[in-house]
Amino acid sequence: MFVAQTIASEHKDLIHDVSFDCHGRRMATCSSDHTVKVWDLENGKWKCTASWKTPGGSVSRVTWSHPEFGQILATCSFDRTVAVWEELGGDLSTKGDSSANAWLKRISLADSRTTVTDVCFAPKHLGLQLATCSSDGIVRIYEAVDVMKLGNWQLQCEFNCNLSLSCLSWGTSRTSAPLIAVGSDDANIAAGAKVLIYEYSETTRKWHKVSTIYSVKEAVHDVKFAPSVGRPFHQLAIASDELTIISLKNVREESRQISSEHSIFEIRQSGRFNDHGSKVWRLSWNITGTILSSSGDDGSVRLWKANYLDIWKCISVLKADGGAPEEERASIHAPSMSSTPGSFRY
Amino acid sequence: MAATTGEREVEEFLLPIPKIKNGILQSVLGMGKQLHVFQAQRPSSKTSGARDKGNQTIFDVQWNAEMHDIARKLVNETHNIFVMLQGQVKSLSQPMLYTQLRKASKQYRSVLKACSMELMQIADACVDDTRKIKYEEHIQEFEMVQLIWSLCEIIFIEAAPGGLILTPLLDWLQWHFQEGNHLALEVTQSEQPSSHPSYWEAVNRLLLQGNTDSVRKLLALHVYSHSEPFLGVDELLRKMPRWTYQHAQSAAEYEMKWRHWRDECIRRYEAGEFTAYKELETIVQVLCGDEAVFRELKNQCETWYHLLVSKLLYQNPTVRLKDLSFEIKACQAVYNLSSPQSQELDNILQATMECDIHQVIQDSCNFLSNRSWWFVSHLADILHHCGQLDPQKLPFGSNLREYLLLEYATSLMAHKSLWQVGVDYLDFCPVFGRSYLEAYIEHIPLETESKAHKVLHLCQERDLLAQAQSVCKVMGMKCLKQDRLGSALSWFLKSKNATVIKQVTDRFLTEYCEKGKFSHLDLIDHLGPSMLVTNSLTFLGKYREFHTLYDKGDIQGATSLLLSLISSRLAPKTFWMTMLMDALPLLNLPQVVLNVQQTYELKHCLEELQRDGTSNYYKNLSDSEMDKLRLLQLALIRNLSRAIIKEGSITNIA
Repeated sequence: MFVAQTIASEHKDLIHDVSFDCHGRRMATCSSDHTVKVWDLENGKWKCTASWKTPGGSVSRVTWSHPEFGQILATCSFDRTVAVWEELGGDLSTKGDSSANAWLKRISLADSRTTVTDVCFAPKHLGLQLATCSSDGIVRIYEAVDVMKLGNWQLQCEFNCNLSLSCLSWGTSRTSAPLIAVGSDDANIAAGAKVLIYEYSETTRKWHKVSTIYSVKEAVHDVKFAPSVGRPFHQLAIASDELTIISLKNVREESRQISSEHSIFEIRQSGRFNDHGSKVWRLSWNITGTILSSSGDDGSVRLWKANYLDIWKCISVLKADGGAPEEERASIHAPSMSSTPGSFRY
Repeated sequence: MAATTGEREVEEFLLPIPKIKNGILQSVLGMGKQLHVFQAQRPSSKTSGARDKGNQTIFDVQWNAEMHDIARKLVNETHNIFVMLQGQVKSLSQPMLYTQLRKASKQYRSVLKACSMELMQIADACVDDTRKIKYEEHIQEFEMVQLIWSLCEIIFIEAAPGGLILTPLLDWLQWHFQEGNHLALEVTQSEQPSSHPSYWEAVNRLLLQGNTDSVRKLLALHVYSHSEPFLGVDELLRKMPRWTYQHAQSAAEYEMKWRHWRDECIRRYEAGEFTAYKELETIVQVLCGDEAVFRELKNQCETWYHLLVSKLLYQNPTVRLKDLSFEIKACQAVYNLSSPQSQELDNILQATMECDIHQVIQDSCNFLSNRSWWFVSHLADILHHCGQLDPQKLPFGSNLREYLLLEYATSLMAHKSLWQVGVDYLDFCPVFGRSYLEAYIEHIPLETESKAHKVLHLCQERDLLAQAQSVCKVMGMKCLKQDRLGSALSWFLKSKNATVIKQVTDRFLTEYCEKGKFSHLDLIDHLGPSMLVTNSLTFLGKYREFHTLYDKGDIQGATSLLLSLISSRLAPKTFWMTMLMDALPLLNLPQVVLNVQQTYELKHCLEELQRDGTSNYYKNLSDSEMDKLRLLQLALIRNLSRAIIKEGSITNIA
């Protein structure tokens, strides 16, 4: 492992979220300093091409839509609003012209009366939809009325999970009914399960709760469905006091029953790890769902991978270097191989 | 989870930033083997703990990234071998296929050897120390892979069960341990070979590899080579029976000959024929298979596996594959514990000799895949086709071969130019290959039109319709945002998606309203059958056709086309006025081209627009436009009267 590049974000306070676009060539960052920045990979270097202050205060999440719909970002801020931003003029201006690209706020979605904790675009086969969840337990799903005019979004569905929500994730499978997993950071263990799975029914045009993950009772900080890449089951990672990876297999699908009824999931725990020795905060999958990264309260980032027997293992740990002297730090900054040969493996 | 033996510790990587009080590290995985790591606020804390608030750094951490740049040739050339072999797997049946598999294994190794040698040259010429070290690491790894692969080839691919194994093992030694030959060359080139300090070491090394011809040549260079003891050793070496592939002798026959020869060695040694020269005694002791002398010569063997083969040569030359493993422990015990790195290599070689193929692959994954899955994936592919890997299914439905090929392809897909090679590997993964390809295609950056066309072509070849559409839509949207309407339309046309096409055609019409002319005429003129994809496009094409007819002077054709366009109501309302204005010159022609029916049609259209559009349309009209509108109304009424008179008179005549 090596640091290929260090990017001075110029954010004036801690960064809350970093998000890659679908092609991994653009990056959006948001921070406590109320700004959102967009970065483009140009000749192998990350360059900030836009930066703007949001009126809503500290920005907690930022996420990209699929480029099929254009260059669109959604953010949520601590002021309870969700905003949808669109880039104007495309990337012509990045050639020669050094002026920052213009991003325009298309709409502010201010339906929530409490803090919006997570915001996610649906997988693109579901169209331009945006799901939000908030600490009063309500999940809202918006859809762009006209993909070309982003000023008009309709609240398609709204359902109450009756738990303070901290995170949500869309199911990624193209072949099964739309799924959303939500997690709750309610610290009360007696309140029961903290991860719920909802499924959209085409017939009733509503979201129904189809599964509850009883194995996680502690506060949940992040849930992420892995990209499905042809797996016959859904794979969900849950960040709580421990890291849990579960697989959900639709039993109905197997018996080839007509899908007018909602799915029945058989839940199997693929792994449960307390390697962080503390709370796990955030999760991220690679694009084939074969590597998972987790960040824990112990200040480390861990990478996880399953071997060919589907046994998950931690393969790497990244930590902040306690107190490296200045000159030593500089040498680590330079792109170089880690000192031991073969220090990274699966 | 139980750790398997010899497993490595989890790698730790330190980032050059100090720990902060209320901060944690957060990470996002990007394309391929890339991770962005940054310090974030611990979600539970209210205050930020950053000491230096203005310096928030994001680290782009990568791994496995460089193997492919160094070994581009390896990737490309072995790709050809792989693809050809997969074709043969489909078309050939067993005895023929087996020959091809053996051939492929040798081809892979020779490409690897060539790359390794090329890299050595690069490393020699390299002046930058850190780069040189990196190259040397790669060379070392390449050499290890060659060592393992050729042993695997002997044991899993070539060996007949129950057949004799020693001859290929000796070839393996001679191929990978060259020190004896180097020394021999040095000695023979010196002025007085027998007094060269490495003379006896060269002799012993060659002897331990069974290279008796070279040993005899060296001994012949000795000043006393004509003395009795030297001639005696030479005779013994000459008479040593050899097992070869070609000789039509049975193993039993060979073993008998060999025992006979060894008895002679022992007899002559015990008779004290060689006591005059200590070194010659050592040689004969080796020939006798004396246990103690091998321990003395352990440094000339360097490793336990060399020692193993050397001992077998002089102690048990008819050893069978299945008996190989009995000797391993004893040979390993001769050497002290080695470095962890060679320990891992040792484990792999040991597992190979024990014929534990899954252990070989598992250990190789752990040890060698840190930079590339090249080795394990290609080896597993051959072993799979040889029928050596269990066809057992893995928990998620594929097999070991596919799992490894997917890993290799994954590492290629993340590369900026080798991704096309990765695609070919995915094509040969029957269970998940297609889904992986779908996932990757959606993430391949489409930086240029030509790359987008390449990706599109790849989708079409493989019938990946949804992905092909997505590529077109992404590209079309990009062009549309850059106001390149023509390119946008041609991309959207490829996607055959009516909604997005309508967006562009509407833009075309708006542009026409504003500027009074169309851009991208060539594109619109040559729409062909794709015009029928959506109504809006049909309208655009037909409307352009009206202009062409009018310009050509085909007034009749132009008029009827315009009327059918107006009465079909295909156009957006905003465009109706433009079309009505187009009718104005037709109404003012000296001859009457619009009949009563047609004139009423235009009037209806205008009235509908007035009724519906009062709110929007009329408010925004400028004076000149109002004038035009009045002109139109006037022209319509005049034409109506002319048409009535004309039609009336025609009726009278009839």
